[in-house]
Amino acid sequence: MTLEMLVGASVFAATLRLATPIALAALGGTMTERSGVTNIALEGSMLVGCFFGVVAADRTHSVGVGLAVALLAGLLLAALHAYASITLRADQIVSGMALNILALGLTTYLDYQMYGTTGTPADLPAVPDLHLTFLSGVPYVGDAIADQNSIVWLTLLLVIALQVFLFRTVLGLRWRAVGEHPRAAETVGIQVRRLRYAAVLASGALAALGGAYLSLGVAHSFTDGMTGGRGFIGLAAMIFGRWTPVGALAASLIFGYGNALSTSLQGATIGDVRVPVQLLGTLPYVLTILAVAGFVGRSRPPAADGLPYETEGHA
Amino acid sequence: MTQIQQPATTGPGTERPAPSVRQPTFQWAAGPAIPLLSVVIALIFGAAFVLLSGNDPIKAYAALVQGAFGTPYDITETIVAAIPLVLTGIAVAIAFRTGLFNIGAQGQLLVGALAAGWAGSQWPTLPGPILMPIVIVFGIAGGAFYGGIVGLLKAVRGVNEVITTIMLNYTIVFVMHWLLQAGPMTAQNAFGTPASTPIGAGARLPIIIPNEIVLFSRLHAGVLLAALAVVVFWFLLWRTPLGYRLRAVGLGARAAAQAGIDPARHMILVMAIAGGFAGLGGMIEVSGVFGRVYDGFSSSYGFDAIAVALLGKNSPLGIVFAALLFGAFVHGGAYMQSHAAISSNLVAIIQACVLFVIAAEALVRGLTRRRGHKPVEAIA
Repeated sequence: MTLEMLVGASVFAATLRLATPIALAALGGTMTERSGVTNIALEGSMLVGCFFGVVAADRTHSVGVGLAVALLAGLLLAALHAYASITLRADQIVSGMALNILALGLTTYLDYQMYGTTGTPADLPAVPDLHLTFLSGVPYVGDAIADQNSIVWLTLLLVIALQVFLFRTVLGLRWRAVGEHPRAAETVGIQVRRLRYAAVLASGALAALGGAYLSLGVAHSFTDGMTGGRGFIGLAAMIFGRWTPVGALAASLIFGYGNALSTSLQGATIGDVRVPVQLLGTLPYVLTILAVAGFVGRSRPPAADGLPYETEGHA
Repeated sequence: MTQIQQPATTGPGTERPAPSVRQPTFQWAAGPAIPLLSVVIALIFGAAFVLLSGNDPIKAYAALVQGAFGTPYDITETIVAAIPLVLTGIAVAIAFRTGLFNIGAQGQLLVGALAAGWAGSQWPTLPGPILMPIVIVFGIAGGAFYGGIVGLLKAVRGVNEVITTIMLNYTIVFVMHWLLQAGPMTAQNAFGTPASTPIGAGARLPIIIPNEIVLFSRLHAGVLLAALAVVVFWFLLWRTPLGYRLRAVGLGARAAAQAGIDPARHMILVMAIAGGFAGLGGMIEVSGVFGRVYDGFSSSYGFDAIAVALLGKNSPLGIVFAALLFGAFVHGGAYMQSHAAISSNLVAIIQACVLFVIAAEALVRGLTRRRGHKPVEAIA
């Protein structure tokens, strides 16, 4: 094992790349759970984002349309979840599970019917990379990290924007109030349901952006189930990041780093012992369990998270 | 950051006499009407979907039925596919009955499979009557250990079981990669597919249908273990004091605590029991079907299990029927794909619809019955 494998510039570049889809899912989770709705269908939103983004980009040869359709697909799946959990007050976990299965079945089914066994076309338009010249000046890592997909930079902007939104704006305060104590929020005139709908829809779009990043930004193709549980890792990052956008990003970077290590340490040895790189994959999950159990910091969900809300005087 | 102070119902540092449990959302009135209705609605939706994607739904469903029940061989294969669903379905259902949502049947099954696969290959020369019980115990113990962690964290640290089970499901996948690709269980000659060393002959569950009756049938003695598990599930919950206490906790943890039942203790217990059932399911797959543990086998049993438990209304017979239905989907779906050129993933779409309709049903009922009732659990 060499130091390069642990802290090489390329490892950091990979960390940033791998953290991006996780961070987007985590941002989505943070937004929806802050409003009091659990959405484990983020994995599903991400997957439909992957697939329908590719389909639209393939049909129109426009990456912009591809991205728009990806977001729309994620949003629609989230809308189903919002309707079930807010209007119908269904069990949010069951609804989310159902939508995850639906997303996997739907995309795999359509992939088979549309592209058969040949796979998606090779000439898909891609989301372009964006070279940030001013970052090249940063010593050591500058050259490696300055070249990233536009969505990576967009994600970093979103983190800052959403952090400011949630904790420095009036609407953000209302957003959190609805997640902590919907009854009190409603008493002062906040539209609980409307806000929760907005939150769930936003979460679907954010996760779908992560999906589009995977298919249109990185892989330039779609393969069945290609999100591979990143939506769930995003939920883990949300919890580990204590339900804040900046925390979610930090957690995603930690998880992304673990991910990058499992590639760079492939085949590495300490003495005679092979490094068990596969075990690095458990990092997000184990850390999250420890965080929720209060062994690593304290992580507390919004008080009304996951609870259906019934308007006072609702007939 | 300012937060309105209201006691969080889960999470660390929350001192409570008893952890909260999920309200019995899924214990609706007796009768198979709603589950049947949800399947019918799902099938109609699936048909519409096939039609929209330019295929013939009648041809699709005919192929599905033909594939699942067309020949005696297919019927036995459908049963083979249903066996792990019965066991993981029970693992979800028994937790539901105690007010917990066990999303972790998948992980518990894998740990059971790994434990059984390890034991079966560790002492391969032992005769069946000695080795088989050992392998069964290892399978159950492995699953029970993994489920028990969830119950323990819930009871002691107030950690929501939905979070822990999701996280543990993924954790074991990576541990499994390690064990079977470059770890202590890795077989030297697995022909490219990462797998464990084959288990001894004494650990194999025998095929119970001779070739003279159904040629090449794979129906193994695990079906008897599954049937036994169904009986045990029924007897445990409805014929023992422990089962009574578990159901009491599920119906209302606070009331149960008032009556002197310790909800926390019973949560640990029920998650270990649930894990035991799922672990047995993993053991049966290893001993009855594969003969070794393959990396990444059984990717979706655990999720199907939730649908099975909900569709079967968490009742023993209901689970059997639901598992057979889903087993038919799994086996028939493969035939449908090869003979009607319709992706077997249509089945997943139908399953998702079943789940969604069931979720919607629970809440439509909730609108009429549970008004004014305050759910007590936060889910993260």
